Amino acid sequence: MASEEASRSPPRSRREPGRRAPRQDKYSVLLPTYNERENLPLIVWLLVKSFSQSGINYEIIIIDDGSPDGTRDVAEQLEKIYGSNKILLRPREKKLGLESTVSVPVRRIEYGASGITGAGIAEQPNGPVRLLRGTAYIHGLKYATGNYIIIMDADLSHHPKFIPEFIRKQKEGNFDIVSGTRYKGNGGVYGWDLKRKIISRGANFITQILLRPGASDLTGSFRLYRKEVLQKLIEKCVSKGYVFQMEMIIRARQLNYTIGEVPISFVDRVYGESKLGGNEIVSFLKGLLTLFATT
Amino acid sequence: MATGTDQVVGLGLVAVSLIIFTYYTAWVILLPFIDSQHVIHKYFLPRAYAVAIPLAAGLLLLLFVGVFIIYVLLKNQKVTKKTQ
Repeated sequence: MASEEASRSPPRSRREPGRRAPRQDKYSVLLPTYNERENLPLIVWLLVKSFSQSGINYEIIIIDDGSPDGTRDVAEQLEKIYGSNKILLRPREKKLGLESTVSVPVRRIEYGASGITGAGIAEQPNGPVRLLRGTAYIHGLKYATGNYIIIMDADLSHHPKFIPEFIRKQKEGNFDIVSGTRYKGNGGVYGWDLKRKIISRGANFITQILLRPGASDLTGSFRLYRKEVLQKLIEKCVSKGYVFQMEMIIRARQLNYTIGEVPISFVDRVYGESKLGGNEIVSFLKGLLTLFATT
Repeated sequence: MATGTDQVVGLGLVAVSLIIFTYYTAWVILLPFIDSQHVIHKYFLPRAYAVAIPLAAGLLLLLFVGVFIIYVLLKNQKVTKKTQ
């Protein structure tokens, strides 16, 4: 890698000021959090460990959505421990005046759990509106200084030990996107019951038939993007929920970005609330049909 | 690796689909080339069913999916109405 760079870079006299010879890759991890007070120190420690062991230049951007359980304080302490060049806390306060606070008893959607992601707003019973992941990415991207972005769940369902794999895969094929897949190789899920697995496989099957995406896991949210690719894709995506992550991949296909895959293990921590209900299934189908009709 | 019952269910599904696949293939593709007096024809229904059964199954599936969606939407509506 270093020798490639040296042979490609222009002679010193012609180089622009402020550019050093071996341009190092920096990886920004976007970590949207909501009520992750207990998991956050763990995940940060695991991230720091994987990155330091592989000698990778990184930063972790924690995007806290005004968690009521004090996640933000934990993040601030972590910032002090690891240094504010490695941990960036970029919280978002819910502007209660702008978003509706009507407590519609929609079933609670667990924020970080098992692949529920999206751009938009989710409603919680007896609580203010919670901001969802797509907008968290937009927010975090503004502060990211790396040239690669890694997105993942902060609830320990994604293990940071796969990140060096992602990086290796990306370099191997010079991919624009590397997606962690649960459905190929030795990827898989731990902690799902039969019904959940069947639903997941069924959804993936229908998606493969309708959209032919060329990727085996569409709803996964453990991915590595080139920064410009992520920016471009987020602009174009309009859906929310599971479909958001799917749409990212479909749009990426449309724009001819290359996608690589790495098998990962997804560990579902079922808190008893993040179950998949009829609601999610129907909105997934709706989003799927919309994508089918519009792409 | 998937756990106990899940593996069994999975294998069961694979077995069932294999059986259906071979039966249907034999029915539609092999049988026309076999003498109509051969004893094997006893094990297969009249060929008209080879179209009717999948068609009916497809329709049933669509019906089921439709009913499911309507049920969920109605439940949603009832929930929002109750809280207003």
